[in-house]
Amino acid sequence: MTLGATLRRVRVRPRMRIRELVLLASVSMALVVGWASLASHVAGSLTLGRQFSHLVLYLGAVFAVHLAFVVAGRRTDQLLLPVIALLGGLSLLLMERLPQGLATQDMGGVELGLASLQLLWLGVAMLLVAAIAIGVRSDGWLRYYKYTWAAVGVGLLLLVFVLGEETNGARLSLRIGPLQGQPSELLKVILVVFLAGYLADNRTLLAQASTRFGPIKLPPVPYLLPMVAMWGIALAVVIFQRDLGAALLFFSIFLTLLYVATRRASYVVLGGLLFVGGSSVLYFVFGHVQDRVDIWIDPFVDPLDRGFQIIRALYAFGRGGIVGTGLGAGLPQVGESLAIPAVHTDFVFTALSEELGLLGGFVILGLYLVIAERGLRIAAAADDDFRALLAAGLTLVIVLQAAIIAGGNLRVFPLTGITLPFISYGGSSLLANAIVIGLLLALSDRGPERLAAPSAGRRRGFRAGMRAVGGRIEKVIS
Amino acid sequence: MDAFTLSLWVLRLAFVGLLYLFFVFLARALWRDLRTTITETGRALGRLIVVGSPGGVPPEGLSVPLDAVTSLGRDVNNSIVVEDDFASADHAVLTFRGRAWYVEDRGSTNGTYLNGQRVENVAPMGFGDELQVGRVRFRLERVAPGA
Amino acid sequence: MSQRPGGAPSIASALLRVAIAIATLYVALGLGASYWQVVEAQRLTNDPSNPLSLAAARSAPRGRIFDVRGRVLARNVKQANGESIREYTYPVMAPVLGYKSLVFGASGLEKTYDAELAGIRQLTPGDEMLRKFRARPYDPQDLVLSIDLRLQGRATQALGGNRGAIVAIEPTTGRILALVSAPTFDANRLIDPVEGRAYLKSLSEQPASRSPLLNRATQGRFTPGSVFKIVTAIAGVGSGAIDAGTRYQEQPGEEESGFLIKGFRVRDGHHLFTGGEPLDFLQATEVSCNVWYARSGLRIGGPALLDWAGRLGFGQPIPFELPTAPSIVTRGEGPGGGFIDEVELANAAYGQGQTFATPLQMALVAATVANGGTLMRPKLVDELRGANGGVTPLGPSAMSQVLPRGSADLIRAAMVQAVEGEWGRGFAGGARIPGVTTAGKGGTAEVDDTNRPHSWFIGFAPAEAPRIAIAVLVQEGGFASERAVPIAGDLMEAYLKLPAE
Repeated sequence: MTLGATLRRVRVRPRMRIRELVLLASVSMALVVGWASLASHVAGSLTLGRQFSHLVLYLGAVFAVHLAFVVAGRRTDQLLLPVIALLGGLSLLLMERLPQGLATQDMGGVELGLASLQLLWLGVAMLLVAAIAIGVRSDGWLRYYKYTWAAVGVGLLLLVFVLGEETNGARLSLRIGPLQGQPSELLKVILVVFLAGYLADNRTLLAQASTRFGPIKLPPVPYLLPMVAMWGIALAVVIFQRDLGAALLFFSIFLTLLYVATRRASYVVLGGLLFVGGSSVLYFVFGHVQDRVDIWIDPFVDPLDRGFQIIRALYAFGRGGIVGTGLGAGLPQVGESLAIPAVHTDFVFTALSEELGLLGGFVILGLYLVIAERGLRIAAAADDDFRALLAAGLTLVIVLQAAIIAGGNLRVFPLTGITLPFISYGGSSLLANAIVIGLLLALSDRGPERLAAPSAGRRRGFRAGMRAVGGRIEKVIS
Repeated sequence: MDAFTLSLWVLRLAFVGLLYLFFVFLARALWRDLRTTITETGRALGRLIVVGSPGGVPPEGLSVPLDAVTSLGRDVNNSIVVEDDFASADHAVLTFRGRAWYVEDRGSTNGTYLNGQRVENVAPMGFGDELQVGRVRFRLERVAPGA
Repeated sequence: MSQRPGGAPSIASALLRVAIAIATLYVALGLGASYWQVVEAQRLTNDPSNPLSLAAARSAPRGRIFDVRGRVLARNVKQANGESIREYTYPVMAPVLGYKSLVFGASGLEKTYDAELAGIRQLTPGDEMLRKFRARPYDPQDLVLSIDLRLQGRATQALGGNRGAIVAIEPTTGRILALVSAPTFDANRLIDPVEGRAYLKSLSEQPASRSPLLNRATQGRFTPGSVFKIVTAIAGVGSGAIDAGTRYQEQPGEEESGFLIKGFRVRDGHHLFTGGEPLDFLQATEVSCNVWYARSGLRIGGPALLDWAGRLGFGQPIPFELPTAPSIVTRGEGPGGGFIDEVELANAAYGQGQTFATPLQMALVAATVANGGTLMRPKLVDELRGANGGVTPLGPSAMSQVLPRGSADLIRAAMVQAVEGEWGRGFAGGARIPGVTTAGKGGTAEVDDTNRPHSWFIGFAPAEAPRIAIAVLVQEGGFASERAVPIAGDLMEAYLKLPAE
């Protein structure tokens, strides 16, 4: 399909988004006040600070997205943008007050620090949200190429195994030129696309058990294979990448979607047992898994080394108390060293909870719950199973990831190093989550011009060829 | 406590307060959506009556209450499974958008017909209209009073 | 969904359950956050390892520490680079004060009172909340100790090159007057930013029994030998098993042949000068008769001995401002966690067997007798002084009422006789103070065949109105009378003669 045809199909009919506007206005107001409190604390007098332009730029980007939505006129969800705008704003506030040297990048001779880089990535993320939410008018490219997507995902994974760089004993990142990325962030989106496609096609069969396995009824063996493969991938991620967080996230998304598709709790139980079994083997075989669990049970067994990070995090929660120390008045740094190692990626929830207190922590958790409500509502109202499962899966990507890392910070779960969506520092994470929100927005379209189910008549030329290839791959695999 | 410290704390608490104000707005929006959903699901939107079915699946005379989205086709995952050799696996979808019904052909081989006219992409549909999927014919009707 | 003939189950209802599960998960996270930020907030903030304490150390001067007469024991001094570092004025205070390092944390009182010294301790959640609203959030407190630097110095000197420990207490209040452990470490070297790490390493490399980092007074456990007989006496008199007139007819004979229990022979031959008459309680204590005490131990019985020792603090860590190791009467390998058999019980009754005690514990035994049977909780800090002049006194408190006054007086009489009596002088006469009645009990604790015995003494003076109770331990110091007894006598005399301010 040519660009011209696309533009002709996208009839521009502006539509006001009052609810979104009001919410964005209240977000802006809150962020300006927060910014003033931070700048005043740093300066020692009432001021908006020299870096106020950062916030202005950020809010500008957010309102530009809003304006683009208005012009495009799609009847998409009006709560998601304000919610991620606030999460991103909190991120910017936090990055602004952390030591700027935590992340630096040379951009055409200008050395950018932590906050500037995060601002840049937030801007790109907003652009991506707008582009996907407005531009995506059909889901065929996701729906029909699920095995192609799966192949891309496995390819990414292999690429990281082979070329990945190691940081803190985990092999996570790929370097392309000056840019460094974490493919596992993108992988989780691809995983959801594949699972939604696979489960939408096969859910009836999966729900009608036909093989008995002791007390548990299972679907025919060939339909189980992709699930066993999923289990294998999750384990491989743990073993080769040492990325416990991603593995936990993948597997919990997988089990939840399986449940949504089949409503069979026995699968969840079986999957959970497999997971527990796999984990306990890993616990005894791999030192890093054992470390994580041991310091979760009692971080004080090794307070100066393995338990150091989590203990420091608990102190930070304690210092925050109910109302917090106030923005800027926390203690991310003692002298030259960080009070909590990796505070800008893994411990942002802790850092914000210290400065904004329990009250602020509740706000952050609440924002993710709102995303959950919106995402599941979009799933429930979806036109067909694929979209319902896709929307549910995308929601889980954000909501479960946030829960896993916040729970890790709070010692509710063992700590695993993953990012807190939209708040943690990092381009890969921001972009992947922007794709998620963009797709959710596109899926939420309630207008007459809503996301179209693809029809055979429109599939021509290149796409038809791809479809044929995809179909063949599909046959071979299934 | 000096004036600066005081005003700094006013700012800090105002920030947290504004965060919660945002939540109040959010909660209002959520609550409104929830009420709309409840009232919407409280009543059936319409029903589809099978007026002709050579294969017997679905049986003639069957009345199916409709959701906002109803899919038709030979595949078992459809809301209404049409066992007919001339129907495609994913044949058509009926949707209620705003205040009107639409029928959308999902790329079926033999086409979807609305009152004898072949449907290209999407077509609006009214009560009393006749829909043909494969050789099976349906009629869209209002929910019977009291039903 | 009736309109799905043969179709898959509804997704919408599964989504509702997922939503409920997610909400539950987030409620759990909210509860987790509340636990750390409300329930545990204060404990966490007051913890000495909290980096807040390090930050406070950089931005506000840490509180000073004074002895009872106001001598500065520890203070902060500015270095050339502008950073403020701790300085310890008297090396003899190391076992009490510990250290506060910016690199490897704190120990001793510096650790216990870290939050107060750094000025981050808030006594109530309300204070905690208010602190956040202050322009200067830190309120460092000075500590005033009950330690008398003169006595502390003299006690350290008395131990000389020996390993050992000395604890001196004011019996009526539990205030610690001196607490010495030798050898000890150089706190100033330990906190030195350049040299500290290497020094700590060299200290840690020494075997535990010789480690200067071990506080022998509170955490070192040693065979008490005959000083433990005072514990047995308290148990016997307290439980009514023995009284002033208790005699054992077999005792004189057994001093020659040995007291045979199940094939084990309690030997005791060194006081045949008492003649053939059986000894009573006072005499047996005066000559430190093992046979008499072994027989009394059997008469008291294992459970009662453990019970009374427990009232004196045995069996669990003593509540104190420094970490303490629990003293034990038995390892508890017998039935019900008691003695294995009568042999072990009989040996424990005179302080051998599987009995191990810290010098602090033995000082508390002496202080209990001195204070008429009431055990006062030991304490090091008299008061906290805030920068704004606010003073928080930390008053004395009783730990337990062990004996009625009459029973305590009987044991006091025995201890006086052990020092002042005609026979007793031969053992513990070195502790006598001219012009003052002194009470006490020496002990020579056999450890093994190769090493010299530990030399012990516990006692108090003046006997009628005690002002000081003391426990002296010299590891491998030989007979009590050689080392511990004269040291104790000298220190008690010195303390009583110290000019009041």
